[in-house]
Amino acid sequence: MIRYSFITIILLLASFVVQQFLPAFTGMHHSRILIVQLVFLCAAVTVEQPTMLILAFMGGFFWDANCALGPHGGDPQIYTQPVESLRFGYSILLFGAMGFLMQGIQPLFKQGKWQFSAFLSGIAIFLYLTAEYVLINFVRGEFVLSKATVIQMAFTSLLTMLFSPFVFWLLFRIASICNHSINPEAGKKRRRAF
Amino acid sequence: MKPLNLIALLLFLGGSVWAFTRSERGVRDVQDIYFSAMSPFLKSGSKMETEARTFLTETRHSKELEVELAFVRGELGRLRIIESRYRELETENDRLRHALDYKKATHFDVIPAQVIRRQPTTWWQTVDIDAGEERGIGTQLAVLSNEGLVGKIDRIYKDQNRSSVLLLTDEKCQVSARVEGSPEVGILSGQRGRFDGSPLLRLRFLSTDAAVRVGQRVFTTGRGEIFRANILLGRIVSVEKGALDSEALVKPSVNFADLSTVFVVLSADP
Repeated sequence: MIRYSFITIILLLASFVVQQFLPAFTGMHHSRILIVQLVFLCAAVTVEQPTMLILAFMGGFFWDANCALGPHGGDPQIYTQPVESLRFGYSILLFGAMGFLMQGIQPLFKQGKWQFSAFLSGIAIFLYLTAEYVLINFVRGEFVLSKATVIQMAFTSLLTMLFSPFVFWLLFRIASICNHSINPEAGKKRRRAF
Repeated sequence: MKPLNLIALLLFLGGSVWAFTRSERGVRDVQDIYFSAMSPFLKSGSKMETEARTFLTETRHSKELEVELAFVRGELGRLRIIESRYRELETENDRLRHALDYKKATHFDVIPAQVIRRQPTTWWQTVDIDAGEERGIGTQLAVLSNEGLVGKIDRIYKDQNRSSVLLLTDEKCQVSARVEGSPEVGILSGQRGRFDGSPLLRLRFLSTDAAVRVGQRVFTTGRGEIFRANILLGRIVSVEKGALDSEALVKPSVNFADLSTVFVVLSADP
């Protein structure tokens, strides 16, 4: 189990590298595949809570390092109302919340029903983006929600969710290499059937 | 709750508080370490992209390239002449300013750069360019295209010869702006959640009875220390009068969907 947990951490770090090369789809309202969040969500349902929290911390911390913008700069007498940014570290809490959401359906996953987890990963990403957007509106004031933003969030969630079977397949492969069962009840059922 | 889970949760919350309390400088240091670790992957990715582009360029018809090269050579010669003339005028201008005891003699040196990556984050409107601190680029420098203001340098990737540009279409990129042919000045910035190909910019804090009309051009005022004066920003497409102030929507002069070569304005002011 330790080996499996360690490899999921490596996998999460590797997803940051892959994310660098995934562009936004300009024809689809700049939707994108959020591979980091997807790997985290899929891994979160396969591990125990302490490992999930380590993954959430690393995922959120590095995600913010990847995305945080610099200070506004300029003369404060001219730019009297600078636009606020989200505080570094907010993603850690969002990743943690998503991780707990995924762990909520861990019993189903352990029974071998990974499809529910795959579907929930799409919902979790939509909630994650919504929470992020609401936070931006909260710190900047003046709630603005355009149709394009909703479409962007929906397409991003959908596109990312489509890749979840591949990530689950990868996690099953890693678990099998590490001689670790990530859905033990499904394994028992299979053995009973034979 | 299991004791191990409780300990993990407390450590997680402690780590979150630690991250939340990082200073601006601390965040930049974290980002430097992060992008240094990413650097080998980004460099190899960029190299592969350049090779792919070169391959595609080479496969284009050679005749077409010859014609293009001849045109570019002609254009280069013409621009060299203009540049030399411009330098002469600049020197003359500096001399005259000096003679008149002007304290602010300005130089206008630009560095050309190519856009190598578009919008790498979900919500912020940024692009990466292939010029960094090795070429004298620092943060908060203005970035132009031949059409007008593109944005400003937000981040330098250390030892990677790359930097990130915050585009004018982002809400966080604020520019002190004036309307041509009127005394009106305001703050121009992008709109939240607008990711379409031709986003409109908001020109806020105009006076209530602002005498501005559709079609007027908007330029930088030069105030606020970041952007020089008289850089074209766009054209007014609508005006909305409010009780306390007026606001105008501005169509940017730059086509942000087709950005390739940009110019970073180096600060040479004393």
